[in-house]
Amino acid sequence: MLIDIKDLYKIYNEGQESEVRALDGVSLQIDRGEFVAIVGASGSGKSTMMNVLGCLDVPTRGEYVLNGTSVTSLKDRDLARIRNQEIGFIFQGYNLLQDLNALDNVILPLIYRGTSIFEREELAMAALARVGMDDRAHHRPSQMSGGQQQRVAIARAIATHPPIIMADEPTGALDSKTGRHVLTILRQLYREGTTILLITHDDGIAATAPRVVRLSDGKIISDAHQEVDWL
Amino acid sequence: MNLMQAFKMAFKSIAAKKMRSFLTMLGIIIGVASVVIMVSVVQGQNKRSMEYFEAMGDNKIQVYAYQRFETSGSVSGLLYEYCLGMQDLVLGVTPQIDVWREITIRYGAKSFNTNDWDRWEDRLSVVLGSDQYGVCNNYTLGSGRELSFLDIDKSNQVCVLGAGAKAKLFDFVDPVGETIFINNQPFLVVGWYESIGLDGWNELDNMILLPYTFNRTLNDNQQITQYVVKAKSAAATTLSIAKLKAFLGGFITDDNGYYDVSSNNDWANQMQEQNLMQSLVLGAIAGISLLVGGIGIMNIMLVTVTERTREIGIRKAIGAERKSIIVQFLIEAAVICGIGGAIGITLGCMGALIAGKFLLQGMILWPSMTITVGAFTFSVVLGVVFGLYPAIKASSLQPVEALRAE
Ligand SMILES: Nc1ncnc2c1ncn2[C@@H]1O[C@H](COP(=O)(O)OP(=O)(O)OP(=O)(O)O)[C@@H](O)[C@H]1O
Ligand SMILES: [Mg+2]
Repeated sequence: MLIDIKDLYKIYNEGQESEVRALDGVSLQIDRGEFVAIVGASGSGKSTMMNVLGCLDVPTRGEYVLNGTSVTSLKDRDLARIRNQEIGFIFQGYNLLQDLNALDNVILPLIYRGTSIFEREELAMAALARVGMDDRAHHRPSQMSGGQQQRVAIARAIATHPPIIMADEPTGALDSKTGRHVLTILRQLYREGTTILLITHDDGIAATAPRVVRLSDGKIISDAHQEVDWL
Repeated sequence: MNLMQAFKMAFKSIAAKKMRSFLTMLGIIIGVASVVIMVSVVQGQNKRSMEYFEAMGDNKIQVYAYQRFETSGSVSGLLYEYCLGMQDLVLGVTPQIDVWREITIRYGAKSFNTNDWDRWEDRLSVVLGSDQYGVCNNYTLGSGRELSFLDIDKSNQVCVLGAGAKAKLFDFVDPVGETIFINNQPFLVVGWYESIGLDGWNELDNMILLPYTFNRTLNDNQQITQYVVKAKSAAATTLSIAKLKAFLGGFITDDNGYYDVSSNNDWANQMQEQNLMQSLVLGAIAGISLLVGGIGIMNIMLVTVTERTREIGIRKAIGAERKSIIVQFLIEAAVICGIGGAIGITLGCMGALIAGKFLLQGMILWPSMTITVGAFTFSVVLGVVFGLYPAIKASSLQPVEALRAE
């Protein structure tokens, strides 16, 4: 078991009138090498769940075991290592550093990993090449289209070769063609054994995922495996 | 992530955000430079006026005595005798007569005119005094002798040269025993004075001293109104001033004239007070500009907190530890402020030199170490504190919270 959450709660403003139960007792197990699409209406708690799974946020209550370690009790240092080496996170809004060019953005996680200076650039260029962005290595985010920025963000996420990729609506801001390009990259990674968690609003995309988890009001209302044609 | 990488990251960040780095630096540069310049100028000014008083010698009493109707015996004679009677208090007394009338001075082919105001820095002047002129005015004899009592009494045609006058008339030759012509009258040079050594006060060296009895022929026999009395000590100065006032008050009243007795010591004290005032005012101005610079730094740092908080969120999301973020921001702020401070000190020193050249007659101004280091430290600490502020605040947030910053 790679990811194992039990009875997870994320409650904003608990006890107050404005209380929001973004996650309301969620349990979920994901195995190594799965491709899971997470769907649900807006505000159903998808992002909240993925942020907790990606160690970018802490649950109010509940247990999260990642790869056999209980994450909820970890210190900053270990969490940083997990974010750096275990999980590659892809945001809907790219979240690239605007002042650095594509290459430097992709190098960043390698620096935090402690990769030697001689390997860094090579690894980063390889990651950029995987997403077809090696020819834009020295462009800044502001000089790139949304799809290109998202590809750079993917390159950054995969630069340290993490076993898990989490993507929160990576195609949400892209047109369908660029969206498909991004999706193709994720499928490629999946085929190579990377575990993929993908939030999507797009039923078409959800229909092509081997496993679909549906959230509603902070609860999982369905969790189904399905046959897909692209495998 | 090791320190080396933190440094690299910091430099990369500085280079990437040139405008912000530059603006932050600017605040520090202006603050530090203005403090350095202003404080240097004030200190130079103070030093200059103190030098002046040192060169002039202390315990020097200036006497001004003017009689509307010259009655029995001139003041000079009486004053001279009176001072000779205070030998336990006084080292010497001399009339101080600057001759304003046009006079030509000639030695060999060299000729000077005392009214040559076009070249005032090279102008020679003629002063009239007693045998104690040198003592009273802090001159030291280079060689030869002072004027003597007999020279005065007999109106001997002798003179003593200041260092500047000697150089202009004789170059490097010893002038003692030579004869110069003053208004075509031969005068024997009996001695010369060493340079007073005060920058910007060439006239103290560019002078020729004659017995004051030439007041009659060279100065239209004008009334002698100024005297210099040299007292033996600060206490003697105070006592002498009181005695001289009483003495002069004995025969000069509001009806028949005017007198004033004051000492260099008073002036020096006054000057020192004035200098202190000046230092305080300029210091306050400099402090304000430092503060304004500091507020500028604060502003820039605080305006970018949101942006920086998001940046910290991103860095944490891709695996930065809290520690490495703080170290990076610390280095970044320290480097920006350090460079800014260094530029500020450099510009400040250059500014101080320029100010010294134009405001203080080419005086070489060096800023005081304490003030420079103080201004530098102040801005760097301010910059580092406000540069670290977002790092300390945001790095303890969960990455999503930092990313949500608005
Ligand atoms: N910081 C917060 N404070 C209070 N409530 C929040 C906060 N963040 C999220 N919520 C609430 O939690 C619930 C779940 O939000 P979440 O972002 O997980 O939804 P989502 O499923 O990702 O929606 P979308 O598809 O629109 O992205 C929403 O009702 C939202 O209003
Ligand atoms: Mg969402």
